[in-house]
Amino acid sequence: MTGRRFLIPSLLAVGFHNQDPLQAALIDAATKRDPGLGTGTLFKLFHQDHLVTLAQHRSHSSHSSHSSHRSSYGGGHSSHSSHTSHRSSTGGYDAPSYTPLYSPTTTPTPTPAPPPRRSPSSAPPQPLVSPDGRATPPPAAPQTLSGRSKRFAAVVRRVQLALRAQDLYKGAIDGVVGPQLRRALRQFQTARNLEITGTITPQTLDALMVSSD
Amino acid sequence: MIPLSLPIEAEMAAPYVTRLREGAIDHPHDASLIDHDATGVTFAGARGLFALDGMTPSELDGDVLLVDPLRGRADRLIRADSAHNTLLVTERCDQLCVMCSQPPRKTHVDRFALLTQACLLAPPNLVIGITGGEPTLYKDELFALVEQVLTARPDLEFHILTNAQHFDGGDISRLRQPVYRNVTWGIPLYASNAALHDEIVGKPGAFDRLGTSLAHLIHAGARVELRTVLLRTNHTQLPELARYVGARLRFVHAWSIMQLEKIGFARRRWNELRVDHAGNFSTVATALDRALLDDLPVRLFNFPLCTVPEQYRALAMPSISDWKRKYVSPCDGCREREGCSGFFEWHPDDEALASAHPL
Repeated sequence: MTGRRFLIPSLLAVGFHNQDPLQAALIDAATKRDPGLGTGTLFKLFHQDHLVTLAQHRSHSSHSSHSSHRSSYGGGHSSHSSHTSHRSSTGGYDAPSYTPLYSPTTTPTPTPAPPPRRSPSSAPPQPLVSPDGRATPPPAAPQTLSGRSKRFAAVVRRVQLALRAQDLYKGAIDGVVGPQLRRALRQFQTARNLEITGTITPQTLDALMVSSD
Repeated sequence: MIPLSLPIEAEMAAPYVTRLREGAIDHPHDASLIDHDATGVTFAGARGLFALDGMTPSELDGDVLLVDPLRGRADRLIRADSAHNTLLVTERCDQLCVMCSQPPRKTHVDRFALLTQACLLAPPNLVIGITGGEPTLYKDELFALVEQVLTARPDLEFHILTNAQHFDGGDISRLRQPVYRNVTWGIPLYASNAALHDEIVGKPGAFDRLGTSLAHLIHAGARVELRTVLLRTNHTQLPELARYVGARLRFVHAWSIMQLEKIGFARRRWNELRVDHAGNFSTVATALDRALLDDLPVRLFNFPLCTVPEQYRALAMPSISDWKRKYVSPCDGCREREGCSGFFEWHPDDEALASAHPL
């Protein structure tokens, strides 16, 4: 079991990161390497996360998009550990939420090198990849090119930060309205006696004191 | 052209109706301006945040949108600063007119609930057009919309385009309700000759069924506007139709003689269907004389003023909706431009240039 820890990174390095996890497990079972350096589980979970995240990007036809993503995620160990601890605190992700809702709008243009999802200004301390990150529609990156996507994500990020400051939101500051943010919005709206919508309403923005200027 | 459908980035939700507000909001369906820059605007309402491109806050203030997050589109159902707002209630139709500008489809998407909400959010004193397809294919839903909206908003009016193939005796008492005083039915009648009318609308028996419906509408005291599109086939019979309307249909509130619009089926049949009235106004003039003699409220739609002989210009309405109206270069120096229909956006430029001259 601990053997996967090395195998998967090495597969990634060789460019096998498109592999299905099952396939990776199969190769793993066949090769039977056992390096025996303990502590595996969180690492393994992390790498599996990575695998899944990258697998989402199969929708991008060009291979270079993978490498650009990889380089943007390759943020060293500190971010890894913040990520894993974060993951353990929220306990998993709502996988079903991402696919059906966004897929129709997500089809546009696989661009050769989508920019990193987060703007450089926002938060190196944030985990670079999070369970919520998976709820991100894959082509969010190409979409950020339009003014409406930028403005939309900017407000969502401010809401995420404000809710995080109140300890209600623990997901990524990624400008995407995912299940965690909806939950946090409902909690905040309940606490403030606002209409409970789970959406970013004008009243919620006022109560959060999130304004554009 | 004024854009009626806009790309949108919105929180996921089922399609919903919302009214955009630059300032304070006073209705649960209102959305409040959050942010704007050179690229567009960002609003938030009960269903969450959404952002649009290419519009300014003042252009959109008071507009009623149908937001469809999944499609990433927002339809401007009602534009607050426009007198030309039309809601399409169905794309199904049981006639197939040779020049149909909005060719029908077999499928129907029921949006009556959303459209009712939209009407309730309209600015004061608006006339809202309802069109299709054929709206009375969903007569009960249509009547319910009219009654619900006009009961809550007696300041509004509806203008409903219908082929009048579906009114029956059972509708009379319903249409006599006071709210229907604010409804005008726009009904096409292309000829006084049944065979010719039926041929144009592509439905045998349509003329007779129309006559039955008109009788019911008379009983109900309905407001009716007759609409006659000018075509090669009915052009020469227009004076006959004028006589028929004057003799048989005197109760109508208006008779609109309309120039053809080069869109839909008429796009490809343009040369086969189009009558150039500027070159030959005499038949139309005869029909107008007859109608005026009978004191019929006759009007010309989609006739640019400069293409109409002076003595009939007062009858030519600025009828083309703002969002699909265009002018050509000779119009720049024209003093009548404000009161003129102009040309349809899709009218051939060479023909428009050839006929237009400044007044």
